Amino acid sequence: MSFTKESAVERAKTDLSGRLGISSSDIRERVSDRDFPDMALGAAELGEMAAQMISSGWQIDLDAGGKTYEYRADKYQLRLYNFDGRNYVVE
Amino acid sequence: MNRSNIWIHVGLATILIALAAILGQLDRWRSTLQTTRERYNIQKIKPQAPIAGGVPEILVWFKPGTSLSEIRGVAAAHNDRLADEIESVPGLAVIDDLDNEDVQKLVGEYSGLSDVSYAEPNLTIKLDDPVQKDDAYRNDGVFYKTTASLDAPNDPLFDQQWALNNPGGDGGKERADLDAIEAWKTTKGSEDVVVAVLDSGVDYTHEDLANNMWVRPANIPEYQDDELGTVNDINGFNADDKQGDPMDDNGHGTHCAGIIGAEGDNGIGVSGINQHVKIMPLKFLGRMGNGSTAAAIEAINYVVDRKQHGVNVRIISASWGSNSNSKALEDAIRAAGDAGILFVAAAGNDGSNNDRWPHYPSNYNLPNLISVAALDRNDTLASFSNFGIKSVQVAAPGKAILSTWLGDGYREASGTSMATPYVSGVAALVIATEPSISMAELRKRILSTVDKLPALDGKVASGGRICAANALAGQIVKH
Repeated sequence: MSFTKESAVERAKTDLSGRLGISSSDIRERVSDRDFPDMALGAAELGEMAAQMISSGWQIDLDAGGKTYEYRADKYQLRLYNFDGRNYVVE
Repeated sequence: MNRSNIWIHVGLATILIALAAILGQLDRWRSTLQTTRERYNIQKIKPQAPIAGGVPEILVWFKPGTSLSEIRGVAAAHNDRLADEIESVPGLAVIDDLDNEDVQKLVGEYSGLSDVSYAEPNLTIKLDDPVQKDDAYRNDGVFYKTTASLDAPNDPLFDQQWALNNPGGDGGKERADLDAIEAWKTTKGSEDVVVAVLDSGVDYTHEDLANNMWVRPANIPEYQDDELGTVNDINGFNADDKQGDPMDDNGHGTHCAGIIGAEGDNGIGVSGINQHVKIMPLKFLGRMGNGSTAAAIEAINYVVDRKQHGVNVRIISASWGSNSNSKALEDAIRAAGDAGILFVAAAGNDGSNNDRWPHYPSNYNLPNLISVAALDRNDTLASFSNFGIKSVQVAAPGKAILSTWLGDGYREASGTSMATPYVSGVAALVIATEPSISMAELRKRILSTVDKLPALDGKVASGGRICAANALAGQIVKH
């Protein structure tokens, strides 16, 4: 799977809508380019180890129901950061 | 007159006539020669003095219409020789002075001739001398220190490897480096030393790595594992798919391997801190640069096994981590230490204090572990680098580090990932000169020979940046 910024946003919205049980149309997005501290985009799952090289990608902030949910993505992966205290690999 | 006297008279007459003829011819020849000399104003030829160096002295441009024979005549009239005619510039002649006349006087003589447009000395052109005074080169009007030292390797990208030799360019600080050139006067590394790169694998076919890659010797048996069976580990081990091919499909491991031991002085790419070494690639990080703790443990287990079977693998370079604490991983690293293997780990890139927010495996308090922070080219802590006066031991260059990448490539990268293999590499250099050094002594040597930096005071336990020259000397070398 290879992401563009736009496709990563769409995928993130789809993921969040499924987690929250809401429509994607109820989600507002804000996207910014960002450097992350490692190749897991600073969002390694429990027990996962990541190469400690600064890696470029996108921070995708999705606003829904008065809360902000942070996704992190690059060409190869999409991750959900600190959702209820845990990180998740979406794709 | 009687008959006998007649023949005497005839003989005398014959002789007189012959003499007259001979004298007449001689006179004609003399007259011709005089005319030639008068025409060309030729002086009596002096004995030719040998020309020092044999280089023609002047260049003369004769006016249009001056024939080649006339040019030769002018040269001869001055006791000179036409050495060459420049056909592309009609009339331009190279004149060789045969009687050692002063060049400037000669130029003046020819310049005064009516047939000559100009005359000038034949100047000696030589290559610009390298700037020796301050060992500097000029770039955009600013002088920087060069790597023109005969000790610098001939790798074409070496001048961009500030971590090995920092001349102070690109906004960097002079000598904010590992002092590699000084270290290489002692050793450039050894193929008897094996460094395990526990990472995303290594592109072991890379043009600048291939000659420094470990290949399992014929006398070392294939890797045997109770669950995996026999693994053909000729090039290393892949704990991600439990097979024997550790080819890198990400690039990160290849970059780290190049920092440790890209072949040096081979006219290709970059140089590792070790110009010669053997790198054992271990893959546990996947294509995206992430891997499981279990796979890391499996790879460490492989290294210990290989050492027990006689492979001189003394160091594991681990440019990875997370905030996940694993007792099993800690135990595996301790077992490697028990087998005499130094474990070098990246401190992490959150810009945070590891004493408060631990990062693993770098935070494990183990006697064989060194945790590494990252510096920039000004000898200051990189903004992204974790630190910790208790939990981080040293710092090394880790920002904008040029090294090998996939597909015979090269690229810059930043992170404590890059700093870690410099520490591993310095350790390998020490082992190259002191093969019997124990793991404990090796760790102590590296930590006790750092260059103290104000920027690291209170940030890392040693307070300094590793220094290859110091570590080899066993003491702080005066710079």
